[in-house]
Amino acid sequence: MTSILDVQDFSLDIDTFDGTLHVLRDISLTLERGDKFGIVGESGSGKSVLVRTMLGIGPSNARHVGGTMSFDGIDLTCLDAKGWRKVRGVRISMIFQDPMTYLNPLVAIGTQISDVIAAHRKAAGEDTGSKAERLKVAASLLTQVDIPDPERVLKQYAFQLSGGMRQRVLISMALAGQPDILIADEPTTALDVTVQAQVLDLINELAERLNLTVIFISHDIGAVATVATRCAVMRQGEIVEQGDILDVLSAPKHSYTRELLDAIPEFGSSEQAAETGAASEAPTDGPILSIKDLSKQFDIGGGKTVDAVKNVSFDVQQNEILGIVGESGSGKSTIARMVLRLIEPTNGNIIFQDRDVTAFSPAEMLAARKDMQMVFQNPHSALDGRHSIGDAIGEPLRLNTSISRYEREKRVDELLDIVQLPQLFKYRYPHELSGGQKQRVCIARSIALNPKLLVLDEPTSALDVSVQAKVLDFLKELQSEMNLTYLFISHDLAVVRALCDRCIVMRKGEIVENGMTEDIFRNPNQAYTQALIESGRKTSKDAAMQAAHAG
Amino acid sequence: MLTFTLKRLLALVGTMLGVAILTFFISNIAPGDPARLVAGQNATEDMVETIRVEYGLDKPLLTQLSIYLGNLAQGDLGKSIVSTRDVTQELASRIPATLELVFCAMGLGIIFGVTLGVLSAVWRDSWFDQAVRIFSISGVAIPAFWLGILMQLYFSVHMGWLPVSGRFPLVMAPPESVTGFYLIDSLLEGSLTKFWTSLSYIILPAIVLSLPCLASILRVNRSEMIEVLQSDHIVAARAHGLSQWRVICYYALKNALIPTLAIIGLRFGWMLGSTVLVETVFDWPGLGLYAVSSALSSDFKPVIGVTLVITFFFVLINMIVDLAYAWVDPRLRSAK
Amino acid sequence: MSQQDTSLERPGFRERHASQIRMWRLYIHTLRKSFTSMLGLVIVAFFLFLAAFGPQIAPYPEDAAGAIHMSQRLMPPSAEHWFGTDEMGADILSRIIVGARISLWIGLLITGIAALIGVPLGIIAGYRGGWTRAVIMRLTDLFLSVPGLVLALAIVASLGPGITNCVIALALVWWPGYVRLVEAKTLSVKEELFVESARSIGAKTPWILWHHILPNCLSPVIVKISLDIGMAILAAASLGFIGLGARPPSPEWGAMISVARSYMPDWWWYSFFPGMAIFLTVLGFNLLGDGLRDIFDPRSRDR
Repeated sequence: MTSILDVQDFSLDIDTFDGTLHVLRDISLTLERGDKFGIVGESGSGKSVLVRTMLGIGPSNARHVGGTMSFDGIDLTCLDAKGWRKVRGVRISMIFQDPMTYLNPLVAIGTQISDVIAAHRKAAGEDTGSKAERLKVAASLLTQVDIPDPERVLKQYAFQLSGGMRQRVLISMALAGQPDILIADEPTTALDVTVQAQVLDLINELAERLNLTVIFISHDIGAVATVATRCAVMRQGEIVEQGDILDVLSAPKHSYTRELLDAIPEFGSSEQAAETGAASEAPTDGPILSIKDLSKQFDIGGGKTVDAVKNVSFDVQQNEILGIVGESGSGKSTIARMVLRLIEPTNGNIIFQDRDVTAFSPAEMLAARKDMQMVFQNPHSALDGRHSIGDAIGEPLRLNTSISRYEREKRVDELLDIVQLPQLFKYRYPHELSGGQKQRVCIARSIALNPKLLVLDEPTSALDVSVQAKVLDFLKELQSEMNLTYLFISHDLAVVRALCDRCIVMRKGEIVENGMTEDIFRNPNQAYTQALIESGRKTSKDAAMQAAHAG
Repeated sequence: MLTFTLKRLLALVGTMLGVAILTFFISNIAPGDPARLVAGQNATEDMVETIRVEYGLDKPLLTQLSIYLGNLAQGDLGKSIVSTRDVTQELASRIPATLELVFCAMGLGIIFGVTLGVLSAVWRDSWFDQAVRIFSISGVAIPAFWLGILMQLYFSVHMGWLPVSGRFPLVMAPPESVTGFYLIDSLLEGSLTKFWTSLSYIILPAIVLSLPCLASILRVNRSEMIEVLQSDHIVAARAHGLSQWRVICYYALKNALIPTLAIIGLRFGWMLGSTVLVETVFDWPGLGLYAVSSALSSDFKPVIGVTLVITFFFVLINMIVDLAYAWVDPRLRSAK
Repeated sequence: MSQQDTSLERPGFRERHASQIRMWRLYIHTLRKSFTSMLGLVIVAFFLFLAAFGPQIAPYPEDAAGAIHMSQRLMPPSAEHWFGTDEMGADILSRIIVGARISLWIGLLITGIAALIGVPLGIIAGYRGGWTRAVIMRLTDLFLSVPGLVLALAIVASLGPGITNCVIALALVWWPGYVRLVEAKTLSVKEELFVESARSIGAKTPWILWHHILPNCLSPVIVKISLDIGMAILAAASLGFIGLGARPPSPEWGAMISVARSYMPDWWWYSFFPGMAIFLTVLGFNLLGDGLRDIFDPRSRDR
């Protein structure tokens, strides 16, 4: 019996200004019907290109330079438009990462689904039927993916649905043609943790019920492990390791796989917690930062306001790392910005080093900013592309000190050393640096003035997993060497558990839990925290290991 | 939708008011004594004084402004020095001519611009695409008056197929005026001869007038289509197996139409301005020709009148474009 | 954390400016790839050459200033007069060549003044928001509600014909376009993370405007200027054609066609060549502007 998907020594090249890029190199994998296959890799690994080529929607300037790719006996490398119409959506189907951009914003959901149904029927040579009849079929598809009130959703547009709902709509569209293979390209990356778990459950359930063959792609090993039984690890266009998921997770053969697995913060472990616990001593002086009854209301027009932050109070002790954890909309980023008064609080006080920051005049605020700095989430947009790295790091010095240009350059060199980047980088521009390097530059910028408090707003969320680990380790070193205090904002529970001494859990603008990190993770008080930890654990590597062991 | 429309209508009135004030200031920036300018070169001191009082030019600026606005509200745009008739009357007789020309040109521009833009984007980098691109780039660069002269030279003088200038032959009686548009009126009257005659007179100026607009719409539509065709949701639509043409004509075009609509609005304005040139070349008895001949005779009030009327139509079209936006993009509907 | 050897000599020029050198190479490469952009560049370069050295290379420079040779009037194109002669007997080719300088001057003045007024207003409107923005944008919208040529016509009719008034009128027509462009760009740049980052390290508004907002607005402004020079020349020629721009005997291309019209159709070359000159010049600037837009497009960087 032929395997359903057979790829042998497949290679793909793309020509760029800087030379030929070998996007895929000698890829070989085989899938049998009913397999659940995962592909793990970071950005640039080629995993997305691979699966898109399977559907004929890969990069248009790619050149096929070798190997074969066949689906159920059909050669996928030389299909014409008519041939693709019989495959796309009907035999092989795909769901994507960010449902917002993958649904047409101007066309109603119902129309989009009914068009898909019509296209499949046409490809099979059947009559397409009336639109009303197709809408009925669409409604039943939506029910299949657990969307309540499907009739109403059919009339709505993409922007009126939540992220999770949009992803379910995309899944239903992908299943409309009753395909044999379902490719899921990072389907949960753009979703909140609790929603992620739900969508993964849905995919598993559908795969069982409809006897689908699934290819699941992600940079998140934990997510892959909840769905897949076999997996491949990709790096820079090659498959470095392939096999049963149990084997790959527990006994990785390739050094890169080991590196990747090590880089992921342990979710269920308490070893690192003990380390950080020892590091933080009992506070002798008062807290370095004290938040009292802080609130923020945003005016969203039409006379309506939204309470982003509601009466939040907490203290940050000197030399500790305090984490603020929450999903999107919890208000954590808003608090971070209010501390530096980048956003003005509606109510409440912020006491920094025993002085009330909220009452500062602009001049006093300027002086205070030397002592508290921020590291932003997205290093790609936190640096002005028009300024060289040297200019970027030197900017705080130019603004706040009057040291000569020569001395400034020396200080920039020092800072580049501290963040372990070569001094030559001060002549480079941001677009020439990788994500991890850019984030280090941002860190150098923030410590240029020797601050006491560093507010870090999701500093590693936009980075690849292996780079994350290095940056987090570096941040830890930096904190102890320079006696800094960190206010660490994140949505990633594992990271918070590994790094922070104490943490605060936020939900919809309010503090839900506040205490030592370990206590919270082992004995959460609130139901919400419990749910959060459960979802995080479900998609973590450890759960995957356990499940693989059990299965 | 209703509040949206009402808000736009209010904005229209506000804009016209603003433009009226603007035209007032333009009238008054001329160096020299305004009364003397109106009176002309050969006027005596007494005549200048009389004119000064009669036109209220001795009053303070703000009073003059309120008198001016008041007159406007009643539809009084002053008198033409050359013909001594009311400007409003002279405008009224010329508006249909310009409108007919502009609508024909606009129609040509939109239909061909959008179609060619879509085809050019779909068959990207083919010889068709290259030819269309050269055509569109030239279309914007070509001086309208030069093109008009050349077309007259070839089609009218050299080949003799089409009349050189004017709107209708002097020897025939124009169709009964119902709408003021000869093409429509001749059909309403049932006279095919008059229809074809009107068509032969309007076709050259309409093509010349439409060309920059067509070229612009084509370029914007093409580049927007190319961009939309690369967007994620189109990738998804293709991944779901939708047919090429459904994807292009409905899914992609709908998205690309939004910036294209904006260009159509803007280009309409430029086209209204170009009537000044095209009507001069083809002796078309519309607002543009009226404005030019008045300007050359230093007859100022008609120029202001034409400015106001043309602006009105421009702002009206922009309002319609805004409404069309909301119709195409559901996100705007719920926000407003 | 190791200390690098700070006694290393300063890296050479090429090393320090490696990033800029690569950027320029990419620009040139992208420009070269496009035939139309190169064509535009060639045409514009030729036009600039004519503008710079016109009087030196024109075969009959005195004709450009209004010399009269009635015996040679209205002669068709020939070996002595490549483009023929006009009703005064002046060589049309020479007048066109010298006219290039006038056209360039007009184009630069109009776009220069418009940009100098429009760009600062746009940045201020975009950054400050609130009342300032409302007032500036209302004023901009007001000017933009009147179709360009009509507004220019009204202003010139009021001020009186002539090149200076023509330039003033067209600059007044053009400045709002820059405000719109820059205001929109400023609004989006304002929301970028690096602006927030600059504020967090203590930057005040003037610093942010000059160091962060303005450099990021420059690319679209440069593209617009390049496209506008062509269109401004066209608009000025149009006003000249109507009779409200340059006056004879000035060899301005539009004015030449205006006179030429009365000599149609028998002496067709008189209208043909000046019009061709306008067309090619505007075409050149448009093609170049398009090429610039392509090279500044961040997507082309990945190629």
